[in-house]
Amino acid sequence: MKPSPITTKLVAALAAVTASTLPAACSSGSSGAAPGPASAGGTVELEFWGWAPGYDQVVAKFNASHPNVRVTFGRTASGSKGGYTKMLTAAKAGNAPCLAQVGYETLPSFAAAGALTDVSTYTAEAKSQFSEWTWNQVTIGGQTYGIPVDTAPMALFYRKDLFAKYGITTPPVTWDEYAADAAKVHAADPTVYLGDFGNDAYNYAGLAWQAGAKWFGTGNDRWQVSLDSAANKKVAGYWQDLLDRKLLKTDPSYDPSLYADLTDGKILSDVNAVWNAPTLAASVKSGAGQWAVAPMPVWDAANPVYGNDGGSATAVLKGCAHPKEAAEFATWMSTDAGSVGDLITVTGIYPAATSGLANPALGKPDPFFGGQVIFEVFRAASAHVATDWQWGPTMTQTSTDLGDGLGRAGTGGATLPGVLADVQGKTLAGMKQQGLAVAAG
Amino acid sequence: MTTVHAGRTAVRKSVRGSRGPRRHGRTAALFLAPFLLLFATLYLAPIGYTVHQSLFRMRRSGLGLTAPTQVFAGLGNYATALGDPAFRGSLLRVLLIGVVQVPVMLALALALALLLDARSTPFKRFFRLAFFLPYALPGVVGAIMWSYLVAPGLSPVTAAAEHLGLHLDLTSDGMLGPTIGNMLTWGWTGYNMLILYSALQAVPPEIGEAALMDGCSALGVAWRIKVPMIRPALVLTTVFSVIGTAQLYNEPAILHNVAPNLSSTYTPIYAAYNAVDANNFNLAATESVVLAVLAFALSFGFLKLVQRRGVAR
Repeated sequence: MKPSPITTKLVAALAAVTASTLPAACSSGSSGAAPGPASAGGTVELEFWGWAPGYDQVVAKFNASHPNVRVTFGRTASGSKGGYTKMLTAAKAGNAPCLAQVGYETLPSFAAAGALTDVSTYTAEAKSQFSEWTWNQVTIGGQTYGIPVDTAPMALFYRKDLFAKYGITTPPVTWDEYAADAAKVHAADPTVYLGDFGNDAYNYAGLAWQAGAKWFGTGNDRWQVSLDSAANKKVAGYWQDLLDRKLLKTDPSYDPSLYADLTDGKILSDVNAVWNAPTLAASVKSGAGQWAVAPMPVWDAANPVYGNDGGSATAVLKGCAHPKEAAEFATWMSTDAGSVGDLITVTGIYPAATSGLANPALGKPDPFFGGQVIFEVFRAASAHVATDWQWGPTMTQTSTDLGDGLGRAGTGGATLPGVLADVQGKTLAGMKQQGLAVAAG
Repeated sequence: MTTVHAGRTAVRKSVRGSRGPRRHGRTAALFLAPFLLLFATLYLAPIGYTVHQSLFRMRRSGLGLTAPTQVFAGLGNYATALGDPAFRGSLLRVLLIGVVQVPVMLALALALALLLDARSTPFKRFFRLAFFLPYALPGVVGAIMWSYLVAPGLSPVTAAAEHLGLHLDLTSDGMLGPTIGNMLTWGWTGYNMLILYSALQAVPPEIGEAALMDGCSALGVAWRIKVPMIRPALVLTTVFSVIGTAQLYNEPAILHNVAPNLSSTYTPIYAAYNAVDANNFNLAATESVVLAVLAFALSFGFLKLVQRRGVAR
């Protein structure tokens, strides 16, 4: 399944070593050449780093229909498992690829590292094809660094048959109902849990996002950090209460133990993003056809707002000699109907392009989910995702610190409000250390 | 020893005398050049670059959305690193693991080596291979295996303890240190045993025989004759183990997957790698230099200590 972090880190380290020993063969050589017309004689070569399954197929499709541009796809470890480190190291060494898969959450960190190329001039036409909030995720300080690929509205993945067995007739609509159902299930069988409280910082971010509990903001040319705001304390308090009452399992996120428990019916549901659907289908060894997707529980049933966990862009990295062609490829990848269809079926993305929402691939019933057209749930949710969420420039550190804290909270070594206060302090210190202007917000 | 040394010097002198110093120097330089080149580019340069990096920090303006500039920070990064309780904690942690685990492992390795060296031990070749096998396994593979053996929910040890009515979580905060120490001991005892065993092979058998004839017990031979004679090998394995413990990374990094309560700054290398992840190369360089200086001080200090004791004896 997932490559172990150590191998990916080794690969990243090796790549960094090779990168530094080859004195920037391609980038420094070609960056002197004028982009565009200079390439008329031959094909423009672009390198594209990413990890999502299916990206290689899309690249092959692009190459087949675009004789003048040749994109080579290089598979890296997933971003947080070493992929981003490899990209940043390559950017620092001056031989980064032209294109890279970068999550929205990490894009500001890349910008703060000076690892991106502004492609605003080449993407002006594409802008109208995306909703405003997704475009905002790739635009920082008025400069556009790439093209949005997908968004990741969240929902509740659950075992229909086991919900019925424990007397839950309809999936919980509000978080209050979720807590009540969690108590009901655990009372019926102390070895069974309604859900899992994992240690994935971005999944938790989706829960905060939903509640409007912002983490970052900007104002007066300063970053504002508000991880321990009142709104965040409310979310943390809710989950800490469930943890205190031992109503949730605390398997690490995306860990074999979690999938073992989901397979054995020890954990009945998971609040997760749209891209979790293929992962779940591949990792849960039994119960196919018994799974279903419902909207994630909300805070206010009269005015439902949903969370988002992930979503990424095709970013143009520093030193790209052909930003025009790079932007052309990125736009094609996110908007071409054939490409988006592949990305939906193979990668399991939920498209960011507005035209993509009508893609026929989103209307297919999924046998793992008992023939449910699960994207209908996500389409309804995506219309009510809070749109003002902003990511900070040191998300790698913040997510690592928060992940550590969530792990400790899960094993009872810390409480969530305490963890958030701790991460707030560490994030402020880390941003100051990196020379950023920052204030507690 | 001294006669051999004197003989060698004499030979060297005669060679020098016959060829002349200048030509000799040029030839030597020619032969030394490949080494010096590699030594300078692959060893000295990276160290120099790391120290250089540790003296700078990135300056960004306002939101920091433009490319940063590098400014001289003096010892500012060192103050940051040493002022960070998480990093200080990681240094203390490897020190603690080292103080407990290294003696246990080396005592075990010595005992096994002495047993293998004893004349009456059966199946010597089998045991030699069996003890060494964990080291032949890539460290990461061993760590993954152990992480499943200790993971709550998967661990057979925990399950067995549960049957006996005991609640044993091998990944709880208090058990993380012993669990990692156990992984290290499992992986490295065989390696150290082999070094000690080969040193034992070089001990002339007649000394032991003479001692036996004089009425010394087998245990006495082992303790009073063999162990003192392989002292250099023991010193060597200790220094290697001290350096190895300081550089602890694989085991905690793998264990983190099943033990989310293990912090991402558990060991100094882990912390430095996290700083790289967070794109803070300067802090990572600083933490690496601090660790290197400490590991150097510890291993060099240990060598000095045993040398002084050796002289005293």
